[in-house]
Amino acid sequence: MKDVVALYPKAFIPYGTWGSSWFPAWHTSVLQEVDIARFAAEAMPYVLAKSKVKMQQLDYLISGSTVPWLYKFWNSPYLSHSFGVRLPGFHIEQACATGLQAIIKANAQVQSGSHSTVGVLTFDKTSNSPAGVFPNQGTYRRTEVLSDIWDNFGYDPSTGQSGFSMAKGETTMFACAGRTARKYKLDFNEVAEMCFYRYQQYFEAKDAGVLDKFLYPMTILDVRGQKMGVVDDDYGVRRYTSLDQFTSERQLDTCVAPGGQTHASDGIATLLVTTEEKARELSPRPEISIQLVSSAEFRAQSGFMPESVGFAVKQMLDRTGLTMNDMAAVYDHNPFAVNDIVFSKVMNYDWRKMNDTGCPMIYGHPQGPTLTRVTLEALERTVAIGGGYAMIFGCAAGDVGIAGIFKVTDSKGGN
Amino acid sequence: MKSMRQTTLETLGLGSVLEIFQNGRLPANESELVDKVFGPAGNRGALLISGGNGIVGSGKAMQLGSRLVKYGVPIVTLDLPDAPDGIGKQYGGLKRSFGAKGSTDIMSNIIRFNYDGGSLPDGLSKYNPRFVLEAIPEILPLKRSHYDLMRQTFPEVEIRSVTSGFPNKELGVGILHPSFPHEINKIWEVVEDEPSDITKLLSAMGLIPVMVGDYWSFILDVLFCGITLAATRYHGATNMPFWKLDKYVRRLVGPNPLRAHDAIGPGASFLTWSCLHHLTEMYGDVFAPSPELMRRKESGENWYSSNRPVVDWEMDDDDEFQSWIMGPIFQMTSLLLHEKRAHLTHMNAIGELCAQFTHGVNAQVRRLGADAVIGRVEAYHKLHPQAAGGAWYPEVFENMGTPDWQQLYVNAEHDGKVGVITISRESLNWDVVDELNSAISWLKAEGISKIILTGDFHLSTQLVGADTTEFYDGLKDEAAGYKVAKGWSEMARRFNDEFDVSVGFINGKRCLGGMMELMMHCHYLVATDGAQLGMPEVTLPVIPGMEGCHWALRKAGSANYNKALQLLLTGKPVKAANGAGWLLDYAGSVEDALSTAWKIASGGDHGIALRKLEEGAFSIPTEVAGIPATDASKAIMDCIQASCGVPLSQALEIQAKHSAGFMVSKLCNKGVIGSAAKKMLDI
Repeated sequence: MKDVVALYPKAFIPYGTWGSSWFPAWHTSVLQEVDIARFAAEAMPYVLAKSKVKMQQLDYLISGSTVPWLYKFWNSPYLSHSFGVRLPGFHIEQACATGLQAIIKANAQVQSGSHSTVGVLTFDKTSNSPAGVFPNQGTYRRTEVLSDIWDNFGYDPSTGQSGFSMAKGETTMFACAGRTARKYKLDFNEVAEMCFYRYQQYFEAKDAGVLDKFLYPMTILDVRGQKMGVVDDDYGVRRYTSLDQFTSERQLDTCVAPGGQTHASDGIATLLVTTEEKARELSPRPEISIQLVSSAEFRAQSGFMPESVGFAVKQMLDRTGLTMNDMAAVYDHNPFAVNDIVFSKVMNYDWRKMNDTGCPMIYGHPQGPTLTRVTLEALERTVAIGGGYAMIFGCAAGDVGIAGIFKVTDSKGGN
Repeated sequence: MKSMRQTTLETLGLGSVLEIFQNGRLPANESELVDKVFGPAGNRGALLISGGNGIVGSGKAMQLGSRLVKYGVPIVTLDLPDAPDGIGKQYGGLKRSFGAKGSTDIMSNIIRFNYDGGSLPDGLSKYNPRFVLEAIPEILPLKRSHYDLMRQTFPEVEIRSVTSGFPNKELGVGILHPSFPHEINKIWEVVEDEPSDITKLLSAMGLIPVMVGDYWSFILDVLFCGITLAATRYHGATNMPFWKLDKYVRRLVGPNPLRAHDAIGPGASFLTWSCLHHLTEMYGDVFAPSPELMRRKESGENWYSSNRPVVDWEMDDDDEFQSWIMGPIFQMTSLLLHEKRAHLTHMNAIGELCAQFTHGVNAQVRRLGADAVIGRVEAYHKLHPQAAGGAWYPEVFENMGTPDWQQLYVNAEHDGKVGVITISRESLNWDVVDELNSAISWLKAEGISKIILTGDFHLSTQLVGADTTEFYDGLKDEAAGYKVAKGWSEMARRFNDEFDVSVGFINGKRCLGGMMELMMHCHYLVATDGAQLGMPEVTLPVIPGMEGCHWALRKAGSANYNKALQLLLTGKPVKAANGAGWLLDYAGSVEDALSTAWKIASGGDHGIALRKLEEGAFSIPTEVAGIPATDASKAIMDCIQASCGVPLSQALEIQAKHSAGFMVSKLCNKGVIGSAAKKMLDI
């Protein structure tokens, strides 16, 4: 393994001190009924308890979410109070980049020395999203009412300002995917083939119990304290069994069919960033070292979100001197199948080498925690194969791409 | 005179229970003791409660005020001018207990003074305080200067502190440490060189003083603060939220300490911290307050969130949980035992009556045995090594075979001719049953054939019936219910079968359910006339398991079947005075009842004919006019018919089977006991 200096040399992610809920599709589980902030604040200690991490060991909390929730004004301090430890901290939000961005910021926090054990708690509930009422003197209507999920999925104000028509559906997310597919002249048959491959990756991993290592079922209580339901699966995921099922799907836009795009979902994902010494203390496998070695962000032209990630990754590789062939695991947040094919073309990288155990295109897309779960899966996969570099990237609303590379070493063996 | 172990009354200087019967009167005369403590009628001094607006002060003003009003003892409260009114808000509860007139009379006897903390108001002197109960904040210099102020102004005054932490040797005054809720909890931990008239007066008034050693913090505080600390440590180790671990603690031990803190109020966490802080200084880190307590000591915030929980938690490792919770409790118990802080029965009772332990801590230790207890503490030390540094005395568990350990709830005394078996627990459980069996066997081995079965005139101020937590297993498992009914009935029958004369004696407010069934097995039953006697099983519902469905009828005689059936099928109690001749044999004043019981037991001339016990099968009316038939009453009637319709020799088995069969029914599981079990166990 090539040796690259860590981006934040004092910051480490203790292996195994992490976890996530399953990501049920929106309106398919009892998560649609809960106050998601309360759920997140209770789920984080629940998850960390599985690896014997005590919440008192944390001294800072970075939270991340994108959909407004009750008492969001109070953000991170409210969340930590809710799980019983009054930590300082802040809240971060950048659409689907939130999860990785929060991890990067946690590394910086440790590197600065201001705090030594930083919790990252990312979550979102797309079900039953709130609506906002905004006074707006810039329109004749004077007042705008915005349903946070539906309306934002349908209208990117940046692409709107760039001349794309909302009325014609040009400002939607999947219009971005279709537009990018046309730019890169994608073949729908290849997209379908890739979709089928991704589903096989996910279900093979799931059926083998790989996901059970870091996705924790949780029982949800109603207001009376009675069991309301259990969140123990990525509900809403269709089990495709043949390539024909993909190729026969109607395209909503160029190369964008139902099996090749993600769905909104609900969930949380959490991990820790700390010092080297504490990482050894906290991790159930102290021989494993995980550090961030590079990160990058790139903004594509208006309406070409899927291509942004390839350029972000290029920046990282240029800075570090690493190549795609140096990567032990490559995982991404791919709201559309188009993303992975475009990335493959931009980077000349075989999409079959990516997302060995699943990806958000399959299991869903709760925005805030999406890239956190992607990171966990990538790191688990990298550890499972003996270490190496794990690359994570994903696109986010606003035509943004974010990427990171983590170095995973195993002092008892591995690459 | 001989006894299995020391009678707890003796620790108060009040003699033995046998002497109460021999003398035909209670050992402490309330009226005489009021005269001694407050002066004679016409020249009564006052009870002064400093800090009278606080939780303790106001509660005790009600408890003592309601008992002293008939003697014209003024209750004077003293507090800072800006102290929130704690007295006025007591009126609602007082009214519920004593009615409009009674509560107004009590409140009218309370005189409230304000002061600046440094000098006493001029008007105070005219009330001539004779006894000061100090309930001011837990700050040692403040307390000491308060005592100086009192002594300077009233040189003859007796002072007692309600402190929860400071020993007598630090305060310089005796201690009467009460328990929450202060309006109704009768227990007072007493620190005095010798039991004083004040302490004896508390006993005479129906309260429960228990003598304890002069150490930092008291038994209740060590146990309750200890269980609170243990719970917070488990939270710290596992992240389990407070609301959930409180449920697990309740299932394991009895109390839910964190909710209790919230119920007591914002100052409760400070008091717990204060207790633990001082104990840590004295004994080491087994008592060291946890970070969660430190935080709430400062903030006073609640333990339970105002939001309802969303994510449920399960217990991953029950054995580890038990080590986190019971390890420190057993270690702290070893300290209490090592210091010989109290009679083992007292220590055990304080856990049950004040800290809501389902089983007293000594009873739990005894049940587990020394090796398991020591192993549990050692397992705790592995989890929390800081606790291993001191205050651990495993050797105190070596003598668990002695009567002091084996008779925590039941004692027996005799004078060579007559024996007395005393029960120190208000509800019947397996511990009491086992100890009753031991007491019976001991007396028989001592050659005693005439006995009186009674409460202990100290810790059990009433006999409320079976401890229904013992039925929980029987709700799901018929064999478990059968075991309870059969085992308890066999013990009860020994009072009928194995003595020449047995007398059940009922003192106090009431005798109900399983305790009533136990008592009715005696050849004679004597009660004080104000006692309420009842069989409330039908209201729970449960079928009486200790032969209540036939024994009462076998003794009542055919002319009284209707009354006995009313008792069983309505659940309404009767006053002892109305039960003479069919439910019991004599009801009278305390003195008359005592002397009658003694005459019967000792062979004196009592003039009471033995009610015959029908030993054959007999018929009972299948319906009783005026009693609506419910599913529960029908089930009880079925048991009555079946158990009366066979000879006495077969009736125990029939009754036990009916009781156990009903316990697994949907009706029982949906009832009071089933609901309580579900609340405690299904978490």
